Amino acid sequence: MNWGWIQNNLPDIASLLGQHALLAVVPVVAALLIALPLGYLVFRTGRAANPVLAVLGVIYSIPSLALFVALPLVLRTPILDPLNVAVALTIYSVALLVRSVVDGLRSVPRDVKQSASAVGFSRWGRLLRVELPLAMPVVFAGLRVVTVSNIALVTVAVLVASGGLGQLFLRGYNSIFYTPLIVGLVLTVVLALLADAIILLIQRGTLPWAGGRRA
Amino acid sequence: MNLRRTVTVAGVSLASLLLAACGGAGTDPLAEPSAGGSASSGGGGQPVIVGSAAFTESTVVAELYAQAIAAKGVQASTKLNIGSREVYLKALEDGSISVVPEYTGNLLLNYDQDATATTAEEVEQALPEALPADFKLGSPSAAVDQDVYVVTKEYSEANGVTSLADLEKVAADAILGGPSELATRAYGPEGLDKVYGAKIKQFKPYDSAAVRARDLNDGKIQIGEFFSTEAVIPDNGYVVLEDPQAMILPQNVVPLYRAEVASDATVTGAVDAVQQALTTEELTALNKQVDVDKADPDDVAKEWLTSKGLA
Amino acid sequence: MNVFDYLLDGANWLGGGKILDLLLQHLFYTAAAVLLAAVVAIPLGILIGHTGRGSFLVIGLSNAARAIPSLGLLFLAVMLLGTGAGNIVVVLAILALPAILTATAAGISGADPEAVHAGRALGMTERQVVSQVEWPLALPLVVSGLRSATLQVVATATVAAFASGGGLGQLLTSGQAQSDYPQMFAGAVLIAALAILFDLLLGLAGWGVARRARPRSRTAVGAAVAPA
Repeated sequence: MNWGWIQNNLPDIASLLGQHALLAVVPVVAALLIALPLGYLVFRTGRAANPVLAVLGVIYSIPSLALFVALPLVLRTPILDPLNVAVALTIYSVALLVRSVVDGLRSVPRDVKQSASAVGFSRWGRLLRVELPLAMPVVFAGLRVVTVSNIALVTVAVLVASGGLGQLFLRGYNSIFYTPLIVGLVLTVVLALLADAIILLIQRGTLPWAGGRRA
Repeated sequence: MNLRRTVTVAGVSLASLLLAACGGAGTDPLAEPSAGGSASSGGGGQPVIVGSAAFTESTVVAELYAQAIAAKGVQASTKLNIGSREVYLKALEDGSISVVPEYTGNLLLNYDQDATATTAEEVEQALPEALPADFKLGSPSAAVDQDVYVVTKEYSEANGVTSLADLEKVAADAILGGPSELATRAYGPEGLDKVYGAKIKQFKPYDSAAVRARDLNDGKIQIGEFFSTEAVIPDNGYVVLEDPQAMILPQNVVPLYRAEVASDATVTGAVDAVQQALTTEELTALNKQVDVDKADPDDVAKEWLTSKGLA
Repeated sequence: MNVFDYLLDGANWLGGGKILDLLLQHLFYTAAAVLLAAVVAIPLGILIGHTGRGSFLVIGLSNAARAIPSLGLLFLAVMLLGTGAGNIVVVLAILALPAILTATAAGISGADPEAVHAGRALGMTERQVVSQVEWPLALPLVVSGLRSATLQVVATATVAAFASGGGLGQLLTSGQAQSDYPQMFAGAVLIAALAILFDLLLGLAGWGVARRARPRSRTAVGAAVAPA
C-alpha cells in the first residue's frame, strides 16, 4: 500500500467520493418521490397490480451496464453523460420501490383500516395518517436495498460515463497498482454501510413505534 | 414526539448534506473529473481546455501544454482520460476541449486512410490538407511515439522473429494482445494480414497496458502492441519488431487546435516552446515516472517545465 | 446511422470474437459460476438452516454482499491472479454465493415445523428429515435464490470484458473504443435479452416448484412425507 499516493491524491479522492455519493443518492430520492404515488396507484388496482409488478421485476433484472448504454438513444444525450447513469438508476430504484410501497400498503391489516374509517378518517386522511405510516417500514427496507445497490452500481458506471470511485479502480487496473483499487473498494463499502446506517437511523427517528420490528 | 421526530430527521438530513458537501464542494457532479492543472490568474485570451486520451503519455503531454500556457498568463485547465481518438476528436469538435496532443501519422490516417506518405516530412506536408476546416495543426516535435509490435526476447530468439515480415511464419500459432481499438485500425490485425501476410490466430483486447505486458511475459499472448515510449518495453527487454513496409507511420507529437484557439499567439507560442524542448528520451522518462514510480502527471509536468525554464 | 446496423449485419455474428462466440462465452460464465456457487452454497445453506448455527453469518452476509462493487473485485482478482476464464468464474461464483446461501438457509429453516415434527415422529433420521421434508419445502426459495444469483452473474459477466475476459460486454468496450454506437447498442440489447430470458425461465421454474411444494391437499405434511 502506497500511503504517500493516498496523501498526494486526497483532494481527488474526496471529490470522487462526493460525486459518487451524489450520483447514487439523488436517483433514490427522485425514485422515492415517483414511487410513492405510483405505488399507491398500483396498489389501488388490487389484483391487476400483479402483472405491473411482474413487468417492473423484468426491468429490474436488466443489467445496469446495458441500460446505461441503451438510454442515450432514448434521452438523446451523449454517451458519456452522467445523466444516463442517473436516469438508469432512478428507473431501477423506482422498479424496486414501487414493489416495496405496494407490499407495504398490502401489509396494513384490514381491521386497522376499518377502525380508522370508523373513527372518522376520510380516505385521504386514512391514507396519509394511518396506511402510509404503517407501510413505511417495508418502504424503508426497500430504500436501504436500493441505496446500497446504487452505490455499488455507480462504480460500474465509470466504464461508460465518468466520475465516482470507479475511477480509482481504473487507475489501479491500468498500471497493476493496488493502492487506488483498495482505496476505492474500502470507500465504496464504507459509503454503502454508512448510507444503510443513516437510513436506518432516519427510520428509527421517524417511526418510533416500529423500532423493534424486523422490517 | 412530533418535535423529537422532526429534530431527528432534520439533524440526520443536515449531517448527510454536510457529508456530501465536504466531498463535493466546488465540483459540479455532472461534469467530468479533471485530475489537476488548473488556472493561473487573469491573463489575456479565452480560457483553454487541454484534452487528453486515456493513456499516460497523453495525460503527461496535456499537462505540459496546460501548465506552459498557464505560465504565460492564459487560463488553462485539463480534461484528461477522455477516451480513444474517435471519442476525443468529437470533444474537440463540439468545443468541450480546445487543444489535444496528437501524433502526426495516425492523425493523417484517421482522416485519409489511403494516404501514401511514409516519411515524417511527407506526413507533415499531407496533414494540413487532410484536416477538417475547423482544426489547425501546431508545430510537430522531434519527440516520437510509435505504435510498435513487440515480442519477448525468448520468443524472438526461439522463433527468429525480429521484424513484422517474420510474423508470417509464426502467426498461425500466435495470439496478439492490444487495446480494443486496435481491432479495427488500419495497422492492426487487418494490416498485418494485408501488408505482411500474417494471419494471427486470435486478437485479444487488453485495455490495461500493465496486464497486457504481464500476459506477454507469461506467454498467454505471443505478440504485444504498445507505444514505443512505454516503460514496459525497456523494463522487460522486449524486442521491437521492425516495420520494413512502413505500415505504421511516423508519429511525431503535435498539438491539434480548434481553429480559433490556433490564432492566439500566446497559446501557440507556449506550446511550441514545449514542442521544441521535448525529445523521445525525455518523453519516455516522463512516462516512466508516472507508470513505474507512481508519480502524478501534473507533478511530473511541473518539474520538467521548471527544469526547462518554461514554467 | 441505424442503431440496429451492427446487430443485423450477419458478418458480425460468426467467427472468433464475434457475437456468437461472445454469447457462448457469456453463457459459459453464467452456467459455470452459478453451478460452482450452488455446489458450495446449497450444502452450506442446508447445514446452517437445519442446525440453526451460523445464521448470524447469513443475515449479515446478504446485506454486506450487496455493498461490494463487482467491478473492483473483478479487477482485484485479475490483478492478483491474472487473466483467464477460470479466475473470472471464481470471482463470479463468489458474488453469486450469498444469494444462494441465504435463500437455501431461509428455505430450510423456514420449512413448516409441523412437517418436520411429523417426520421425526415417524422415526426419520435427521438426514431423511432434511432430504424428504425440509428440502422439498425449501425448493421454491432455493430456486428464487438461484434466480437472483443467475441475474447477478449475467450482469457481472458483462463487466468481465473490461478485464480482458470476453463475453457480451466486449461489444460494449470495443464499441466504445471504436466509437461504434451500434456495436454498443447490440451488446446492450443482447445482454438485456439474455437477462430477461433467464429471469423468465427461472421464474417459471420457481412457479412450477412452488406448485409442487404446496399441492391442494389439506396439509403440507402429507405431500412432503409421501415417498419421493
